[in-house]
Amino acid sequence: MLRLTTYLCCSYLFTTMMPVYALQSTVDIEQIERATVYVMQVQDTGDDLFITCVGSGTIVSRDGLILTNAHNTLTDENCPGDALIIAVTVRKDYPPIPKFRAEIVQFDIGLDLAVLRITQELDGRLVKNENLSLPFVEVADSAGAHLDDTITVVGYPGIANDPIDLSRGTINGFVTEPTRGSTRSWIKTTAVIPSVMSGGGAYNQDGELVGIPTSAPINRNAQNANCLPIQDTNGDGLINATDICITIGNFINVLRPSNFALPLIRAAALRLSLETLSTPFALQTAPQGSPNFKRLFFSTSINEAGMPTSVVRSLPAGSNSLYLFFDYENMTPETIYELRVTIDGQPSPDFSLSSVRWSGGQNGLWYIGSNEQPLPNGTYEFILAANGVTATSVARLVIGGAPSAEPTFTDVAFGLLDLRNNPLGNGFVLPTGNIASARFIYRNMQDGMEWTTIWYLDGNEIPNSRQTNIWEYGTNGSTTTSVRSESGLPPGHYRLELYIAEQSSGSPRLAATSDFTIAGAQQGAFPQVFTNNRFSVAQDDTAATVAPAVGNVSDQISTLYVLFNWQQIARGTLWTMRWSVDGSVFYEQTVPWNHQESGENFQVRLSSSAGIPDGAYQVDFFLNNVQLSGTSVQVGIGQLPIDRFAQANGVQMRGQILDSNTLEGIPGVTFILISKDFSVDEFTAVWDQRQIYAMAITDSNGYFEIDRPLELTTDDNPIAYSALITAEGYLPLSADGLEVNVTTDNPLNTVIYLSPD
Amino acid sequence: MTIIAIKAGAAELNAKQRWANTLAFLFSALAFIIGINLRDSALNATWVYTNTEAGIRVEYPQNWLIDTEGDYVFQVRDVSQTGYPTTIQISASPVSLDTPPRYIFDALTLNRSQTLASYSVLSSGLPFVFPDETQATIMNYAFAATYANPFVESVPIVVRGQDILTIKRGQAIIITFLTDSLSYDLTYPIFERFINSLEF
Repeated sequence: MLRLTTYLCCSYLFTTMMPVYALQSTVDIEQIERATVYVMQVQDTGDDLFITCVGSGTIVSRDGLILTNAHNTLTDENCPGDALIIAVTVRKDYPPIPKFRAEIVQFDIGLDLAVLRITQELDGRLVKNENLSLPFVEVADSAGAHLDDTITVVGYPGIANDPIDLSRGTINGFVTEPTRGSTRSWIKTTAVIPSVMSGGGAYNQDGELVGIPTSAPINRNAQNANCLPIQDTNGDGLINATDICITIGNFINVLRPSNFALPLIRAAALRLSLETLSTPFALQTAPQGSPNFKRLFFSTSINEAGMPTSVVRSLPAGSNSLYLFFDYENMTPETIYELRVTIDGQPSPDFSLSSVRWSGGQNGLWYIGSNEQPLPNGTYEFILAANGVTATSVARLVIGGAPSAEPTFTDVAFGLLDLRNNPLGNGFVLPTGNIASARFIYRNMQDGMEWTTIWYLDGNEIPNSRQTNIWEYGTNGSTTTSVRSESGLPPGHYRLELYIAEQSSGSPRLAATSDFTIAGAQQGAFPQVFTNNRFSVAQDDTAATVAPAVGNVSDQISTLYVLFNWQQIARGTLWTMRWSVDGSVFYEQTVPWNHQESGENFQVRLSSSAGIPDGAYQVDFFLNNVQLSGTSVQVGIGQLPIDRFAQANGVQMRGQILDSNTLEGIPGVTFILISKDFSVDEFTAVWDQRQIYAMAITDSNGYFEIDRPLELTTDDNPIAYSALITAEGYLPLSADGLEVNVTTDNPLNTVIYLSPD
Repeated sequence: MTIIAIKAGAAELNAKQRWANTLAFLFSALAFIIGINLRDSALNATWVYTNTEAGIRVEYPQNWLIDTEGDYVFQVRDVSQTGYPTTIQISASPVSLDTPPRYIFDALTLNRSQTLASYSVLSSGLPFVFPDETQATIMNYAFAATYANPFVESVPIVVRGQDILTIKRGQAIIITFLTDSLSYDLTYPIFERFINSLEF
């Protein structure tokens, strides 16, 4: 009875201590700042740890997954460290404090993204990830970002005593590249972002992570590298150029959209890893020369295969779509490239791309473009640079005036022609055979003009394919052209270039161009490339090749195989393998084909140390962005388990528990937040852990934090928590009916007084 | 000069008054004894935990938080205690009959040294006999408990622990006692009462 009375009288006191203020913004900056970490790559020399690279990162799950850049975490020439240290902001306005060690669990060098998992305390003790309860942010669908949206960028601006900082700006453009999975390869922003913030987070108005500020510093050995030695790593008593220095990039003006990070985060969260077991035909050869760009030209748009629909030399006033195409060679994922744009001789940061990692292959066709950004009138100059070295080729374009009325060829598509000369097939992947045809649209042509076709195979002009003819098809319409080989067109990477002779000079002008692929056997007008796709379950890799195909498997497996046969794929052909679970992609990789031209039982192993989670798994195969085949399997109940801790939204509760006499914080007091389904009386009748929503213990100064956000109560879904504080030597304190709603201050700071017993 | 001293004569208590005084004294003493007993019974009040699957029945202190969903059979904690909450836990893992206790303790030590700061074994191999004559072995150890939350400023607490290990029915049964080293002597009797009530 005494206890009950005490509860009741103190409940009033407790509830009056819960301040409720109007919510000023939906962006919980404090939660975001707490989830933002400082990532240090270090080199362990046995006696000392030396910092080799630094950057920012963001915690994206309560159990310690961190999203950051690849360039400052993966071990390479620029970042030679062998361990990762994670520092967090414990006190606002103070530098971060190292707390954990982490390991890389997923990465994509080209996208310059990496997902780390916290694995150890700083002193080397292992961390049980399931016991971690870290503040984290939710990842937005970056496709929902719009021009002029306000964003907040959070990260650590420098390598000195800089505390966490934020920078606000707007989205002022989107950059499109042939990177897979999204038409927005980069989000451009007006926010001023120092280079060490690279790897941090950019947040929309809902407080969700929409992009990752990304800028890769050029190699520390390059002439114009910005590299700071801050430690005596060689032990000579001096800090100078002979010590390991930390590379610092330039200011950042682009964000990698969060949608590129989602597959990596998903694979890391599910602890899934993929390994191609089939032996490569040969090891990849390193580039034989320096990175180079050539054949720069402009197009107003791209088609579904990422090919230019046209080739233009000028654009009318009011244009808002422009793509710079170019051929590249000798590029690697470590290459840092940059686009510098000037308008009428003045540098234009709005249209330039700051230094970022190369996300394409070694050689091929690339583009950088935008179709959502108004282009002011002027003379544009586009200059590409690789590893800080400017390319010799420069592309120029004039925007303004009326639309051009010059003759054009556009919209090239490939296929096999039917009897009416219509191309059949999927447009950009043709089966092997004796003939390949292209259909294109022409405008403003005049009969009697000279035009030329040139066909290429793997970068070399096909003998006798160059044909110059006199135009005889009228002014506007569409027509076809073909390349033929009596011995058959071998599988490979093909290109068609169409030229129109200038009326003034007679010299040929590139009017249209497009690449396509020939692969696989002919099945009607379509290529049959990947066949007998199947999932299998087996004890080992060898047994998997003869195991029967499965469509449903039990939930007790840790390894799953996918196998397929293939035919007539030329080495170097870009192919894509995409894995998804429950419709969400967790792996996608586009790489040059590096196996024999035809074969059986190409084998890929999906494994998970924690067992492959239940779900509907799908794998799809692509050539040239064209999906050719796929297969699926259902594991367990065919649906991913629900993570009840996945919610990051809600009200964060924290506070301080004070002695009502001395007004000093009481350390070691347990604050129990009881689940919405139970009252204090129901809980104290059994004291069962299962009835607890969250629990916190006060620190040396009496401060505590509830590590799970409180759900918001609504009219449709009322949620009322109960709370209980019992501390030896003090009267217990409790309250029922604690609710938070959209008007509650977030984080909710409380001050609670306990009376001595 | 004559001095006349006037003194009040001591009043004689009548029988009724004498009985009243005696009863008052007796009631006070009785109330004190009852109070002491009530306090003791309140402090030593227990609840019963029964797990038929594991074959365990034990009494644990009332108002201690019980958890049966961890990697143990069950665990109880005194969350009202400031600092490190005194914890008693029973866990079980399959072993062969030939497995010597030392290997089980070594495995525990290796595992804990990976996750607990400054983990140190104080003594190991001491014999122990349960009230039902079951033979067991004791390991005493200490470690520094740190907060899982990296955002709070707290000083590590030195924790002392004791494992009592016995092997029964092909299972290693480990009863663990953990408490703040400063209150070890004060709280150890609770563990002793727990052990005395244990049936397994």
